[in-house]
Amino acid sequence: MAAELKLSHTAALVLQAVHTGDGYGFSVMVLTGLPSGTVYPAMRRLERDGLVRSQWERQSIADAGQRPPRKYYKLTQAGQATLGASQRRYPLLAKLAAVEGGPS
Amino acid sequence: MRIHLAMLRSAAWLVPGEQRAEWLAEWSAELWYVGRNCRRQATGFCLGAFRDALWLRRNRPPDAPRAPWFESPARCLASLGLVAAACVLLALRYYPPDIRLPLHGPIFAMLYMAMMALPALLATTSLRLGEVPANRHAWRWAFFAAKIALLLPIVFWGVLDLASMTGVKIHAGPIHCIVIGNVVALRWALIDQRRRCPECLRLLAHPARIGLPSQTFLEWYGTEFVCVKGHGLLHVPEIPTASFRTQSWMHLDRSWSGLFL
Repeated sequence: MAAELKLSHTAALVLQAVHTGDGYGFSVMVLTGLPSGTVYPAMRRLERDGLVRSQWERQSIADAGQRPPRKYYKLTQAGQATLGASQRRYPLLAKLAAVEGGPS
Repeated sequence: MRIHLAMLRSAAWLVPGEQRAEWLAEWSAELWYVGRNCRRQATGFCLGAFRDALWLRRNRPPDAPRAPWFESPARCLASLGLVAAACVLLALRYYPPDIRLPLHGPIFAMLYMAMMALPALLATTSLRLGEVPANRHAWRWAFFAAKIALLLPIVFWGVLDLASMTGVKIHAGPIHCIVIGNVVALRWALIDQRRRCPECLRLLAHPARIGLPSQTFLEWYGTEFVCVKGHGLLHVPEIPTASFRTQSWMHLDRSWSGLFL
């Protein structure tokens, strides 16, 4: 059922950026060029629809880097199927896939 | 960075309480990285937090009723009756008889204020009560009328009590406050009526989201409520469509009673 989901261009762009980038909000912003007020609600919608899932980084890893722990987003199986369908629908998404990583 | 953290904390008030701590932790952590990469972007980044917070506020699943004193129709009317009695008693204690109301007599004034609230109510709230079974119409309307009959004196005397206690003149702000209070009260009465079982008039419980917003044209998308007594299910569409204009009630016959206490 989830493979039949049709995402808007922006939502597909965010989904692609979650897949391509480092999987946190700021990296999605950098990759897509979209403002935070668009990216975060879009990621929440994707999470609510079961296309991405979020997980907090372990405190020990963050402490070792002397930084606050981050919340990472990852595509679910349904999300990967929907991304595949979106790439067929929006061929330019593939260009984003070629971009390597965001800022750490 | 203090101002940016203050912006995030302000936006956090918009986030539903159960999600607030995690939301603030996520945005604060991201702000730390934004500030490290490009401090100039921090203000714009934090402004986006308000939009995200509003999205969460708008899209949270509707809460199950948390007010046991409103759950059953008898409790609801008893609670409203108690508040109304307290307001009238306080009015007798604090409201000096030499101050004149804008209309002759409190009943006329109360009804006049209720009429003044109607245009604003029509502009802000749908008056539809949804598709409900044809039986027990009189019972439902009697309950609705009783709620309004108790809410109007609560607002009217409550505002006048507050005005008397704080020494505000009757012909100034309180009149507007009564009209606004009536709009809020009537709106609550309508929303409360829509969230009750049309058969036993108890508040419905256990909200569950059904469907996906991206499939609105294929199947309905909205929230389903259950009557705890097992009378039926209420389907409330998130976006009214041609096939699903308003909330509808699905009656469950006695064969379902084994599933309910």
